[in-house]
Amino acid sequence: MNRKHFLSTIIPIAAVSTAFTGNEPNTDLDFKQNIPPYLKKGDLVGIACPSGFISIEECAPAMNKMIEWGFNIRLGTTVGARDFTFAGTDEERAKDFQQMIDDPLVKAIMLGRGGYGAVRIIDKINFKNFVKNPKWIIGFSDATVFHLHINSNFGIATIHSKMCNSFPDDFSKADQTQIDSIDSIRQCLLGNQMQYKAPANPENRYGQGTGVLIGGNLSIIQLLCGSDSEIETKGKILFIEDVGEYLYKIDGMLWNLKRSGKLKNLRGLIVGGFRIKPDDPGEEFGKTLTEMVLEKVKEYNYPVCFDFPVGHIKENYALKCGMKHHLKVSVDGTFLECL
Amino acid sequence: MTTIPPYLKPGDTIGILCPAGFMPLEKAQTCIETLTDWGYKVVTGKTLGHQFNYFSGTDEERLQDLQQMLDDESIKAILCARGGYGTGRIIDRLHFKKFKEHPKWIIGFSDITALHSHIYKHYKIASMHAPMAAAFNDEEYKNKYVQSLHDALIGRKADYVVEGNILNQNGKASGILVGGNLSLLAHLIGTSSDVKTKNKILFIEDIGEYIYNVDRMMYQLKRSGKLEELKGLIIGRFSEMKDTTIPFGQTTEAVIKDIVKEYDYPVCFGFPVSHDKENYALKIGVKYKLSVTTTSVELKES
Repeated sequence: MNRKHFLSTIIPIAAVSTAFTGNEPNTDLDFKQNIPPYLKKGDLVGIACPSGFISIEECAPAMNKMIEWGFNIRLGTTVGARDFTFAGTDEERAKDFQQMIDDPLVKAIMLGRGGYGAVRIIDKINFKNFVKNPKWIIGFSDATVFHLHINSNFGIATIHSKMCNSFPDDFSKADQTQIDSIDSIRQCLLGNQMQYKAPANPENRYGQGTGVLIGGNLSIIQLLCGSDSEIETKGKILFIEDVGEYLYKIDGMLWNLKRSGKLKNLRGLIVGGFRIKPDDPGEEFGKTLTEMVLEKVKEYNYPVCFDFPVGHIKENYALKCGMKHHLKVSVDGTFLECL
Repeated sequence: MTTIPPYLKPGDTIGILCPAGFMPLEKAQTCIETLTDWGYKVVTGKTLGHQFNYFSGTDEERLQDLQQMLDDESIKAILCARGGYGTGRIIDRLHFKKFKEHPKWIIGFSDITALHSHIYKHYKIASMHAPMAAAFNDEEYKNKYVQSLHDALIGRKADYVVEGNILNQNGKASGILVGGNLSLLAHLIGTSSDVKTKNKILFIEDIGEYIYNVDRMMYQLKRSGKLEELKGLIIGRFSEMKDTTIPFGQTTEAVIKDIVKEYDYPVCFGFPVSHDKENYALKIGVKYKLSVTTTSVELKES
């Protein structure tokens, strides 16, 4: 990987581009995007922790930055709360999240951090008010539970991005890519037109595709399989990322996706950051991530790209799940545009 | 109605191969000798003692080896020497036509759960969740768990009586037994190899997982409706469990108990089915009676 020479960039465009000329027929004309209202200055952003615990201090950089963006902040009762690895008991976390969802003053909910725990409370959440008055849910990793559940059940757009624990304490010392990644959340919330570029990778499969973007953490995608929150991938552009898994585990999860038909009717596949756990000595898996992915999708024709800046990495740009995107993978690299 | 492959007679042939991870031939030596002592002829597949990176061969080599043994009518049982990972990579390319006509026992556990589930789901043919080659080593071929494989192979009906557990949920049940490795069962959900658990007795075991991951896999089983309509649930051992730097705060057993306590079917904890030596032979697809109290558990083949 040679990211230094191909810095992924986000190009905000003031007006929605109408110049797009996709060469694919639009087969889902009845699809209506359900987009929560974009935020205005002075709007209230709630912070809640449905998964792992985080201290109030650790949320301070995110709070300060969002105040700088012109938003007001409300801290949920789970920020700073703790029950072992969780930010409170299941009941406490569900209640906090429910209150944030139900309060019409809260226009967006940023999660404190991922970790583990969302799946333990998702069935306790009543989305009735949320469906009537959608708002942005912001986060990644364990937050994939919300992205998939909300998109599969209600078709409401969500923001897959860094969350409170990924804001640097000192922005002046942070990597430009990290600063840009965090700023992309602001751009998403304000409704700016989003475009993303990723470096060319010799293993990329060229092509173009248009479809609703969905995805997130591969482990979570697999673990929601069979449940009410299961991902729906037909006609969509799927993105995947993961952290801390062995190659053989990733292979098993990819087989689950393939064997359950989730790779069959995609419009594109975006492979983000994978921080892979090294093989144990004597157990070398002998396949690379790209080989593992490509062997699963060889009989399909959609574009496939690697090294996309999404995942447990510094470059982790805010992506709008549930919204239509155009993906173009060519010799020049990867280009993704929210339509 | 489940088809039961013919039980083995003296002089019958058992094939040994590796459909997933590799295993050096010498580590299967005691297993081969023991099977010979039991009166069987043993043939070894090309994948035993063969290595391709992590695997016992390329996908094609492993596929071909297993296919050949499935098709060879002279082989009456196939013992998978080792699990590991890799059976799921070849399972959709296997042909079961001849196997269906001439069923034989498939023996193994862990990654072999994929084969057990797949075969029961598609063909309703019984298979054997049981110790593999490594379990025979270090004089362990004499233990009652390895011996239970012998008993199972000759058609002796199992009647396992084991210690109870304070977490057990008392009750009696009768049903077809399905299950295996929890991670594998989770990975099969949504695929064609996914076994329906309604009215079944389900057993699960795992090794080397983080406690939080067992929690979320149990949530997956629950949320995908796999636990709701069971007749009974057998929790095997969870070996070599790992915890995160910040402790999860519950033991694996407590995590599972939390999830299953709402069900009124019998549930037992710590049943000797596992990656440790405590690993009784269980026939998947066969009807068992389960009787659970906090002081003792009986699993008896009907």
